[in-house]
Amino acid sequence: MVIADPPLMDSSAPELAGTPPPPAPAERSVVAQIEHLDFFYGTTQALKDVTLDLESRKVTAFIGPSGCGKSTLLRCLNRMNDLIEGARVAGGTVRIHGTNIYDRTVDVIEVRKRVGMVFQKSNPFPKSIYENITYGLRLHGRRDKSRLDAIVEQALRGAALWDEVKDRLHQSGLGLSGGQQQRLCIARAIAVEPEIILMDEPCSALDPVATAKIEELIQELRARFTIVIVTHNMQQAARVSDRTAFFYLGSLVEYADTRDIFTNPAKPQTEAYVSGRFG
Amino acid sequence: MIPPTVAAPPRFTVSRRRLRLLGLTADDGIRWFFGGNALIAVIVLTLITLFLFREGAGFFGQNRSNLEIYRRAGLEYVDFIRAQTDDHTALTRYLSDLRVRWMTWLLEQERHSLEEANARLEDFDRFADRFAGAVDPLRELMSGLADHASGIKAKYQLTQDRRVEQAQLAAAGRTAEAAGIEISAIDFERELEPLRESLPTYRQLSRDLAGELTALLAEAPAPPTPALRQRMDRFAELTREYVAGFPAVEHRLETWDSAQPVPAHRAFTSFLFGRQWLTASSWQDWYGIVPLFVGSLLVAALALLLAVPLGVGAAIYVSQLASSREQRLIKPCIEFISAIPSVVLGFFGIVILGETLRQLSQVSWLSWLPGFPYSERLNILTAGSLLALVAVPTIFTLAEDALNNVPRGFKEASLALGASQLQTVLKIIVPASLSGIVSAVLLGFGRVIGETMIVLLCAGNRIEIPDFTRGVAVVTEPVHTMTGIIAQEMGEVVRDSIHYRALFMVGLVLFLLALVINYAAQKIMRRYRLSTG
Ligand SMILES: Nc1ncnc2c1ncn2[C@@H]1O[C@H](COP(=O)(O)OP(=O)(O)OP(=O)(O)O)[C@@H](O)[C@H]1O
Ligand SMILES: [Mg+2]
Repeated sequence: MVIADPPLMDSSAPELAGTPPPPAPAERSVVAQIEHLDFFYGTTQALKDVTLDLESRKVTAFIGPSGCGKSTLLRCLNRMNDLIEGARVAGGTVRIHGTNIYDRTVDVIEVRKRVGMVFQKSNPFPKSIYENITYGLRLHGRRDKSRLDAIVEQALRGAALWDEVKDRLHQSGLGLSGGQQQRLCIARAIAVEPEIILMDEPCSALDPVATAKIEELIQELRARFTIVIVTHNMQQAARVSDRTAFFYLGSLVEYADTRDIFTNPAKPQTEAYVSGRFG
Repeated sequence: MIPPTVAAPPRFTVSRRRLRLLGLTADDGIRWFFGGNALIAVIVLTLITLFLFREGAGFFGQNRSNLEIYRRAGLEYVDFIRAQTDDHTALTRYLSDLRVRWMTWLLEQERHSLEEANARLEDFDRFADRFAGAVDPLRELMSGLADHASGIKAKYQLTQDRRVEQAQLAAAGRTAEAAGIEISAIDFERELEPLRESLPTYRQLSRDLAGELTALLAEAPAPPTPALRQRMDRFAELTREYVAGFPAVEHRLETWDSAQPVPAHRAFTSFLFGRQWLTASSWQDWYGIVPLFVGSLLVAALALLLAVPLGVGAAIYVSQLASSREQRLIKPCIEFISAIPSVVLGFFGIVILGETLRQLSQVSWLSWLPGFPYSERLNILTAGSLLALVAVPTIFTLAEDALNNVPRGFKEASLALGASQLQTVLKIIVPASLSGIVSAVLLGFGRVIGETMIVLLCAGNRIEIPDFTRGVAVVTEPVHTMTGIIAQEMGEVVRDSIHYRALFMVGLVLFLLALVINYAAQKIMRRYRLSTG
């Protein structure tokens, strides 16, 4: 089982059986660059001068005590913060493939198509499972029935949900269990083929078995997507992520390979947090 | 770290003695106060229901005797003949309509002067006069019989009044006086003899009429244009149908039996399906709710037609798309509408809206609109437009609640998938709150069907089923409504009279309607709560 051998035991990124090995990355390829980001909710500063790169097809974990700005940073990556009145980026840039997504000329819809999101509380639409998954595709004008059918199956298989729901695709998504709902949300996100998937505490409302399934799923998705996950669970961060960023009071304290963060942190605050002495 | 002491756990404090009054603590008092308030609401509702039922229930007995006397005094018999003469009158009207068209053609197409045109129509006028006059003997017979029947009814009512007086005196203990009142029972069979004896005369007249009409049709003048000819043909056809109906009338008169009791359900059906509401008439009162019900429904339907798009649209805008500054501006404005006293709205309706709409209808380039131009400024359109104003705040407020109650997660998920604001609203938020919106509309409907002042002032108060054959143009006709009739007539009816009870029955129908609407709205709302969690 994948979750049985945590990546920190593994020097290279673990490869899954069946998935083609990526062209061995000599240097790290960067998908998104956050540079000197300052972020405010009204007058309170939630992020202070955050600089961080997201690497392609890696799992990056954001950790830190409650209120330190993890969700805020995550939501800066797909501009979900635009919805909040008074929230604004006061300085710095967020580049995806070199384009600053906060630039005036950038279409926010385009950004969100390329950066998918899975929320803390599973939120399937009150529609059928099938419609949940095709929703994003239909928005962007995909109508071809047989193609949609194929994508639904592919997305559900991708989210390890196909076998459980293949006989009830046309029943309400709200009829699934909490863990299944969360995987449905993941399937919904991957159906539109984003490059980056943001996950904000995706397992915090789930029991250990459902959590294990999602973690396993993240391992599989890593081959195709760049994943950012916020978690309060240190073991989880250690198990699923390649890189870990530790935040404290809106600042990025340390960002390094997960193995280093957990075994050999550079900063005493990181050391104290990961060993559970504060936070 | 907490030192591991083994101190005894703290005990629960023993409840202190509290201030008691009559064995009740303050908590009990508060409990009773709130419980009492809730109870009062339940009791009041029960009382209202009971009261309405009690006052209304007597209606059926009274209505039955109302129908009974209609038959026993021979009014029903006379009305059979009256129906026939009324049909004749309708045909005469058809002819005069035809004359108007013919005349128009002569004046406008043929450019005749008025005298010339009248001269050209001489033949037609002679025909029309003969047609109209043909029914006169029958009508004379009918009115003689009508007087007689009215006389019987009056006599009967007199004895009824005497009986009541006698009963009152007896109840007051004045037995001697009570015995002094003489009451002669009416021998209906003898009284009705003149009616029965008229049957041979009727037969003769009816046959004469049939003969004359058939003869007249043969020499009907032929109009000059195809369109007019078509109308003339239609007239001939209608007349033939009318004449063909004579034997049926005769048969009805022959088999009519004054002693046959009126079935009990007629008292009920004549109210529920009766097409006439006619009170304080010298002939016969009718209490049929249909014209009022239809009036209320039409006005309410038009109001909803206008208010639903407005209210729901505004709710969607305010809850989903507006900035918070716009919200602060729009919401109080809409909610304020409901604070305007309805009598003020009604006044506005009469003076400004009704008049403006009428003048608008007379603008020539708008005459293509159905029903335009019209001359009655108070009608369904005026009342419905104003009622829409009443419904908008209700629909808006409830629909906005429903929209705001859609879990935030749905909206975020949709936006995160790359949907635009508008797509999110239309594809996720509105469907998710649909049942809430539907119940908002239902409650808006309940609000307008119960509204009184505006319809009383602006609906035109004509107690008639509007002419649906006019299609959409029906909205330019005046109607009366269930609420309006109660407000208008309740003040002047005699307590416990049949009219009084009939108004209560109308009230009861309104009450039940409101109950059903509210129940349905709540049911839908509950299902919606369950479905969105
Ligand atoms: N909508 C908002 N309006 C104002 N302030 C906000 C808002 N959302 C978050 N904040 C503030 O911004 C700071 C960072 O919040 P954020 O939600 O990013 O923290 P977090 O690290 O995700 O915490 P948690 O682990 O509890 O989810 C907090 O101090 C919070 O109070
Ligand atoms: Mg958070």
